[in-house]
Amino acid sequence: MQRRKFLRLGMTGLTALGLGSLAACGSSRHNESGGAPFNGNGDNPGGDAGGSDSGETLVQLSIEEALFEMVDGSLVYHWAFQDRSTPEVDRPHLPGPVIQAVSGQPLRIEIRNNLPTPHGFAIHDLPEATVTVPPGEVRELVITAPAAGCYLYLDPLNAPVNRLLGLHGALLVRPAQGPTPYSAPTPAVTQLFADLGTTGHFPPNALSPAGWQSERFRIWLFHQVDPRFNARVEGGETLDPAELAANFLPRYFLINGKSGAFAAHDEATTIKGQIGQPMLVHQLNAGLFTHSPHLHANHVYVTAINQQVQENVVFVDTFTLDALDRVDWVVPFIRPPDIPGDQRIPLRELIPNELALTIEGPNGSPGVRQSPLLYPMHCHNELSQSAAGGNYPQGAIAHFEILGDIDGVEFPH
Amino acid sequence: MALPIISRGEVHPEEIEHFFKFVCPPADGGDNPDPQPPTFIARRDLLETLDLDLADGGSVRMWVFGDPDDPDGGRQFPGKTLRIPLDAMARIEAGAKGGPHTIHWHGIEPTPINDGVGKNSFEVSSNFPYQFQPREAGTYFYHCHVNTALHFEMGLYGMLIVDPPHPQLGAVTYPDGGPGYAAAFSPFTGHVIPYDVEAFWVPDDIDSRWHTLGHMAFMQDCDRDDPMAPEGFTQDGFLNDMRPDIFSLSGVLRRVADPTPFTPANSPALVAPTVGVGKSLLLRAVNAAYATAEFVLGLDADVIAMGGHALGVPPFQQYSRPFRVSASTPFRLTSAMRRDLLLRPLAAGSFPCEIRLLHSVTGNLLYTAHTTITVTA
Repeated sequence: MQRRKFLRLGMTGLTALGLGSLAACGSSRHNESGGAPFNGNGDNPGGDAGGSDSGETLVQLSIEEALFEMVDGSLVYHWAFQDRSTPEVDRPHLPGPVIQAVSGQPLRIEIRNNLPTPHGFAIHDLPEATVTVPPGEVRELVITAPAAGCYLYLDPLNAPVNRLLGLHGALLVRPAQGPTPYSAPTPAVTQLFADLGTTGHFPPNALSPAGWQSERFRIWLFHQVDPRFNARVEGGETLDPAELAANFLPRYFLINGKSGAFAAHDEATTIKGQIGQPMLVHQLNAGLFTHSPHLHANHVYVTAINQQVQENVVFVDTFTLDALDRVDWVVPFIRPPDIPGDQRIPLRELIPNELALTIEGPNGSPGVRQSPLLYPMHCHNELSQSAAGGNYPQGAIAHFEILGDIDGVEFPH
Repeated sequence: MALPIISRGEVHPEEIEHFFKFVCPPADGGDNPDPQPPTFIARRDLLETLDLDLADGGSVRMWVFGDPDDPDGGRQFPGKTLRIPLDAMARIEAGAKGGPHTIHWHGIEPTPINDGVGKNSFEVSSNFPYQFQPREAGTYFYHCHVNTALHFEMGLYGMLIVDPPHPQLGAVTYPDGGPGYAAAFSPFTGHVIPYDVEAFWVPDDIDSRWHTLGHMAFMQDCDRDDPMAPEGFTQDGFLNDMRPDIFSLSGVLRRVADPTPFTPANSPALVAPTVGVGKSLLLRAVNAAYATAEFVLGLDADVIAMGGHALGVPPFQQYSRPFRVSASTPFRLTSAMRRDLLLRPLAAGSFPCEIRLLHSVTGNLLYTAHTTITVTA
């Protein structure tokens, strides 16, 4: 069997392993050797290891310890996964690197435990995908990549302690073929993806091929930190999981390992594009806190919940992301529908003054322009918008940027 | 060996102004930059204070919206409901007092400057006319988006209903409590259906420790040169720690130790509705709490809308469909989620319903509100 080894590919908040897609990290494209298209239109920005051969995806991780700086500058002890294939340049990651695979293809994951206590690796809700790794040893997990979707991998030992201490990440499985991100889409999801960019209510952007482009996705992995427990682990204590679960009081709320302004300005997390360039967002919650993510400016289609592709695809502005949940959104990137005026007029002509506006800030700040259109995604369980008990909004937040009109003309910036 | 230290992120020199705006939004007012001629005008002032009495003789101070066009000031909790005709050119004039505020129209999707998020536009230091043109009839709400964890909890929110046109009268708004018309999947009636009675179930949790704080409690310092300076962060806040001791159902308060049910005798009809057999009840459920709200109805109900949008209605909602929630089957809404439910009771009686608030981390039960839907022969 041919075995391939893929390099760590991203340098921003999320790193990606496996298929080699920098798209997961919001950076430039990467193509190692070409392969079968994912989206049926010939565009394969994800690169290699498509569904055309039996090549095995190899991922090599180690379990490490590190101090992660929170948004307020405090250092918090964590356990974390690290890409072992390039140890000379890599470092522990919170969350762990994104593992990418193609449904039905072999996936081999090697885990080295560099800590003095046993740890494990599992894919949540896949009972066959679990392995325990004694201290100082290496174990393998070999599976056939499951149905397409975004999964949560984690250390299942002493649950929920080990995953809350940082041992978690996302496994993104793409379908071997087809125009949707799913192996077996429902009729409603199939219709939605068929309509994007081809219908009157989802007109295509002039700069884009019609339809959802498979590289237009993001992963938002939510996580919370109560540093009191991390400090006890750093001191050598083995935590009682029941005590932690009963007393967990998040002090920091993170998306893709960052909070507040750092998360909002992270290219790996921001969703951006012009009107008519839809985007898929895979949300996962590795923590214990019940999130209620809310997007401004566009309702979103909820296409999958915990790997169940939805029969009834609701179109909402806020949706639950409970502990361990995985929820997929399609952000249609329609023109914010409640902007007053004739919707046939380009926005740049309807709101020219707002797009040209710069509002002066306090303390002599020169201010920031109002173009392009900038909105938040934030959790509406607003406790999560705090850091260290306040400092709003330095918590679980991301940005949504609309860069231009449907005809491809950028807003001034 | 020293542990590696992983950075929280970097502020590049060209990004400093963006980070500064994120931490310390500009405050402004004046005219809307791209005004449209309004067909609907309302005003809301914020904030006003309102002391609400509790059954045990105590009270809790709320921050609420006022309505300067109301002879009595319009101070109430939740804020006075705004009902706007579908497709109206809405102009809502916000007046900020005692510090900067904004109004965000949750679920309504206008330009950033009309969206009421300070760090993405500005905070209102005096007056500003927000404008939007709602294109989907349904259930929304409005709230202040400044230091939101605190301001939303303190009571700065109100219902916003976008009413579909009357089949004969055209663009109108309907009275709170009904009768009226709602958007729902109904191809033969233009996706507009009548209802006889309307109820608002808006659970909220209140932590009275928070109700002595100032507007900008636990906010970060504004340092233009280094907006993310660690020393600028406050460290003594507790806005991550919600310990509700008071429960509100659409503005009717109970101590969490007080199990007194919400009945037609002690609560407004919007909270404990009465409807006749064969008539229809439109129940608008909005979770204004931070805790998860679990609803259990004593009657079958059809979910006709979520997030302010009617299920199944083309073009945007054609991928969904209305669905039934059977009597006694719980459903959950996390903060800011909305569902519109249509009930058509077939038998008279008093049907008990529960709204349970569940802790955001442990899932523990914090409070159970008992209310009823009364069906008359």
